[in-house]
Amino acid sequence: MLKIAVMIKQVPDSQDISIDPVTKTLNRSMARNVVNPPDVNATEAAIQLKDKYGGEITVITMGPPMADTALLQLMGMGADNGVLVTDRVFAGADTWPTGFTLASVADFLGGFDVIFCGEETTDSSTGHVGPGIAEFLGYEQATYVHKVEYENGFLIVVRDIEGAEETIKIGTPAVLTITLNANEPRNPTLKRKIDAYKKGIRLVTNKELRLDPACIGLKGSPTIVKDMKTVPDPIKNPSKPTIEELDKVVSVLIEKGVVK
Amino acid sequence: MSDYDAIVVGAGNAGSAAAITMASKGLSVLLVDRSDPPGTKNLSGGVLWGNDLAKILPKWQSEAPLERFIQDKKIGFLTEKSSIIIDFKTKVFEENKVGHTVLRSKFDPWLAKKAKEAGATVIPGITVESLVKKDGKIIGVEESGDAVTSNVVILAEGINPRLAIEAGLRPPLQDWEVSVGVKEIIKLSPQKIEDRFNLSSTSGLASEYILGNLGELNAGAFFYTNKDSISLGIVAPMERLRENGVTHTYDIIEQFKEHPSIAPLIDGGTVAEYGAHMIPEGGLEMVPQLFGDGYMIVGDSAGFGFSNGLVLQGMNYAFLSGIFAGEAAVEAKSRNDFSSSSLSTYKRKLDNSYVLKDLRTFKDLRKVTNNKSMYTTYPKMLESILLEMLWERGQPKKKVREILGSCAADLNVGKLKTATDFYYMYRRM
Repeated sequence: MLKIAVMIKQVPDSQDISIDPVTKTLNRSMARNVVNPPDVNATEAAIQLKDKYGGEITVITMGPPMADTALLQLMGMGADNGVLVTDRVFAGADTWPTGFTLASVADFLGGFDVIFCGEETTDSSTGHVGPGIAEFLGYEQATYVHKVEYENGFLIVVRDIEGAEETIKIGTPAVLTITLNANEPRNPTLKRKIDAYKKGIRLVTNKELRLDPACIGLKGSPTIVKDMKTVPDPIKNPSKPTIEELDKVVSVLIEKGVVK
Repeated sequence: MSDYDAIVVGAGNAGSAAAITMASKGLSVLLVDRSDPPGTKNLSGGVLWGNDLAKILPKWQSEAPLERFIQDKKIGFLTEKSSIIIDFKTKVFEENKVGHTVLRSKFDPWLAKKAKEAGATVIPGITVESLVKKDGKIIGVEESGDAVTSNVVILAEGINPRLAIEAGLRPPLQDWEVSVGVKEIIKLSPQKIEDRFNLSSTSGLASEYILGNLGELNAGAFFYTNKDSISLGIVAPMERLRENGVTHTYDIIEQFKEHPSIAPLIDGGTVAEYGAHMIPEGGLEMVPQLFGDGYMIVGDSAGFGFSNGLVLQGMNYAFLSGIFAGEAAVEAKSRNDFSSSSLSTYKRKLDNSYVLKDLRTFKDLRKVTNNKSMYTTYPKMLESILLEMLWERGQPKKKVREILGSCAADLNVGKLKTATDFYYMYRRM
């Protein structure tokens, strides 16, 4: 029986986000929170693995108390347990302390055979956290995975590598980051959501984890945002070519053999 | 043994009010909503009138995410070039807080949270597929092949109650029963709103118009101020839209926004959201059988709403019907009898309240609001009269009676027709 974890994050729905032209920060006030989309694919991949080989799935997130709805949604899909890592001391973390904290939580929960993550988050797009967790725990890792099989203690995974696929065999325990659209996530069901609601979410704070305050949250974050610039949308401000210029473009295209 | 005492389908005003009423009296309640967070797909014009919610949440006015209290209510007519408005601004509204603008995408999740705090199991993001029937009784709901059972199901599905219709508890919606509302939320700074409409940081404006510039669509419009946005939109009966071949309702809202008396009010604002929704306007005739063995129907699903072109209300009817259904379920639980006769107390409570009393009193109202002259002739007539009286054109002045006569003649309105229209308006409104 495989012990499986899925590390997920609640993010503002990217459709609802705009950039404040004055403060140059993300305006999230109109945005509703959703589960980071590839994390839903990661959960689906975990459920498929469990369905095939047996196991128990724990979804884990670090975030504010309201992030419990994200865990309930994924438990509604078929994850068995939900763990919410929530404590003010974790706030303001960049990818380094986030990876460190989540790795510590995995360790605190007794370790896992496979830890699934999404390839990256839609609100910061670093792709750091999954590999970070693997490094802090000393687990094997495979990134940008869209297919997972399990065989005699090994994982056979297919990775997306820019226009090609790579199939590799890695040992366990391992961290796999799953690509967006790797699979078609099932919908949560009413019955499973009710069961999740009854079961509840386990809360973990730093009282249990006892992590060094210098290594977590804002204090433990080496990233400093120096400046932020908004770039005008190039499509919205096209410089209109004149008719003569158009002729030039066409002649170049003919010259290069693109058009005949 | 059922899984729950009650299952409520839909976390709108009616559903959440029912869930709070039952859960706070110790019933086990499941509240299911299709959107996550619960209620975020719900839409209203945007003014919540009355204080019915105080029955279950005494401190709702200080806790709920309200936008502005209504201090200024305007009602009037728009013609192509003019607006004729009654502006009623009163200290009485300020002292009594009779109405508030709300944004349902904030208000409804708050109300669902109150249901959770009262002890209800609130499950968002799930669309119930069907009702479960056994021996003619409703005994639960079904989703993904799983049945979840309860002693009573309260249907708070909103204006298009798919479950109730599929289970044969009410006929499919007819054109005459509904109007279509199209709404936009336009961002505008609080400073601009307060300067432009002469408001304080907490007071607000609610305007409703009869649109005399859109022919026989019988369209009305609304304009409400929120904290940092304007809610505006148009409402037109489905029958009229279909008759006139209108398929793009956004054309109408654009015409309203471009009206010379509206455009300056939203100048500099940006559209942040838009939406469309049906509104129950069939009156008493569209109210279905409200209860039966194991079920009750509340809110928009029951056709509860009131509209006479100048007053648009629905949320207060939703609260009260939800509260009554909740109370009826609590009483049914104490008798351990969820049969049709036991749940009939729900209807009795409605009978004795303004919900069904209003619908009975104004049962002929549709004949007035359906009268095309209300939208085509009379706004123009008013405009002509005012122009005649107020525009100095170097002509000898006329008596009002003469003005009326010549305006009616210009617009080709018979005196008898006008007299009967006003007589019926007087009788029915």
